[in-house]
Amino acid sequence: MANPKPLPSISVNANCIKLLLSCCLAASLHGQQSLESAYRTTGPSVTAVFEAQRAVLQKSSAVILDGRKERAYGVVISADGYILTKASEILDIKAIAVTVDATKYTEVKVLETDPAWDVVLLKVEAADLTPVIYAPKSDVPQGTWLVANGASSRSNRRALAGIVSAKIREIPVGGTGPMAGVALGIGLTENSKKLEIENVAEKGGAKEAGLEKGDIILEIEGKKVTKKEDIAEILKDRASGTKVKVTIRRGKEEKTLEVRLMARTEMMGPESNRNDQMSGDFSKRRTGFPRVMQTDILANSAIVGGPLIDLDGHCVGMNIARANRAESYAIPVEDLKSLAERLIKKAPAK
Amino acid sequence: MIKIHLTCLFLAFLSAAAPAAEGRLYVNDLKAPENRKDVEAIQSALQKALPQARAATVCIDLGEGSGTGVIVSADGLVLTAAHVAQGVKKKVTVILEDGTRLKAETLGLVSDKDAAMIRITEKGTYPFVAMDRENSTVLGDWVFALGHSGGFDKTRGSVVRLGRLVRIADGTFQSDCILIGGDSGGPLFDLSGKLVGIHSRVGQQLQMNMHVPMSVFLENWDGLNKAEFIGDGPYAKKPEKGKGFLGFASEARPEGGLRVTKVGKKSPAETGGVKEGDVLLKLNGTKLETRDQLKDLLKEMAAGDELKLELERDGKPQTLTFNLGER
Repeated sequence: MANPKPLPSISVNANCIKLLLSCCLAASLHGQQSLESAYRTTGPSVTAVFEAQRAVLQKSSAVILDGRKERAYGVVISADGYILTKASEILDIKAIAVTVDATKYTEVKVLETDPAWDVVLLKVEAADLTPVIYAPKSDVPQGTWLVANGASSRSNRRALAGIVSAKIREIPVGGTGPMAGVALGIGLTENSKKLEIENVAEKGGAKEAGLEKGDIILEIEGKKVTKKEDIAEILKDRASGTKVKVTIRRGKEEKTLEVRLMARTEMMGPESNRNDQMSGDFSKRRTGFPRVMQTDILANSAIVGGPLIDLDGHCVGMNIARANRAESYAIPVEDLKSLAERLIKKAPAK
Repeated sequence: MIKIHLTCLFLAFLSAAAPAAEGRLYVNDLKAPENRKDVEAIQSALQKALPQARAATVCIDLGEGSGTGVIVSADGLVLTAAHVAQGVKKKVTVILEDGTRLKAETLGLVSDKDAAMIRITEKGTYPFVAMDRENSTVLGDWVFALGHSGGFDKTRGSVVRLGRLVRIADGTFQSDCILIGGDSGGPLFDLSGKLVGIHSRVGQQLQMNMHVPMSVFLENWDGLNKAEFIGDGPYAKKPEKGKGFLGFASEARPEGGLRVTKVGKKSPAETGGVKEGDVLLKLNGTKLETRDQLKDLLKEMAAGDELKLELERDGKPQTLTFNLGER
């Protein structure tokens, strides 16, 4: 094919101007201008600049699969196949598979779980994986760029960038505010001298355990309870997901049941919170972490669990929850390192 | 002929593009950052602007719920959204980043554009930010948002988010700084730390984050400062006429005027300085003759409206100016 001839310069100018003019006209006609999606913060033309960090995610982040469905990401922490991921997103998978780089592993051992951090240790049979390189510290200034997994294709990871957006801190069970803390999932009759159950929440642990309306609560964890405050005192510092022994009297019978505690916020339907409606998707477990760093990376609940990478390609943390549309949490690197060591130590020897 | 036209347009385009604002970060004029140096330039500009921006960003506690605002003058003028202020001359609490709670009152608002002004009523020198008075932001500029997402949380602080100005339409900025409830009324800054907008609303999509541009505040500055209720909704509802409340009893005098026989405790009248025995002569310039006439005048006013009472106390003329309360 012949090389295309360059157009006469005036004609080039004229074309340019026409184009500009039509843009201007269109803009003024509708009174609006819009940035092409490629150039928005999550657009490919912007994320392309984070190719070096994406290359780290390609090697050192794992994709946790349930059949063909991506359920979470993971952090590769050793060459011989140890991977950390978010427990509550993957523990129900029956046939778990893991992809690292372009290799798919279908023999995956689910080893130790840490309920406080909601992290589980996985193991695949491998010898030459590229583990993350830990950053010296998580306490980097707010506004610092960080990169995490975006949605990925079968063989390619994608990068999403954001910044450190708030202080490192603890996230109490149920978050901060009036709905903080865990509960059994029962309502008690008012003005009664006994702790009599008036109703049982549909989604709560009490329902699962078989507590019923009319049951009288006598003891929790072997301690006598006679008023609401006694229950609150016993539940105060307990974590969501842990169980307590509840002794009740039903008719003439006394029995002890194990009730799973849940964050109050988990027991309510999504319609109860306007911010959750606004957020669309969020992690099932998003509160009750000993310490988190916060980013504005637009994670959805299926892309947490992977490493959080700084511009040097070092791992400053592990993405652990999408709290809402504006707030994502990560386990800071110091805690991640000690958690990794602890879980590997506890895991049964090969 | 055609050639001349084209040249004119071309020149016009050149001159429009020529004046790059001073202090404007070069990365704003790239379609996208191209290398590590470019992203680090964004990061260092943001980190330089952040401490002052953060110090000036406040939580506005409304009792039932909260929003965000930003201080724009050393004596404590705060800009926020109309749907946060909800009305004029209302008492609210402003919370600084360190948790200090300050008394404040809402001034004016633009109810159809979601803009409002608040004044911290406690004397002090407050950290504040500069406003972009030249409307200098353009599509694609890098911006950052601050706000007390979900409410004030001292251990977390206000939350910063980075993004670009992705759409300008019908006098509204849209950015991809992701906002959520509690951020309403919070500030959007350019990378030099100048205030360019106030958070207003979001759409279901993550990229639908709307901000009121600074120009709306600047065009309505005097009205905002004078506590006027501007526009007709939908972001704030004008108080209904006839529901205003003064809080005193009076009787008509045969020679004209109304004698105050009783003043309600903590009523707007008492706060405004009305005393038992005062003889009210004029309300907003209209001579007062009978109690029914006073009622009719008040029916035409709404809570928050200013009233000027000319009266006689111990034989001396006096003028009181205060606002009608809510029943």
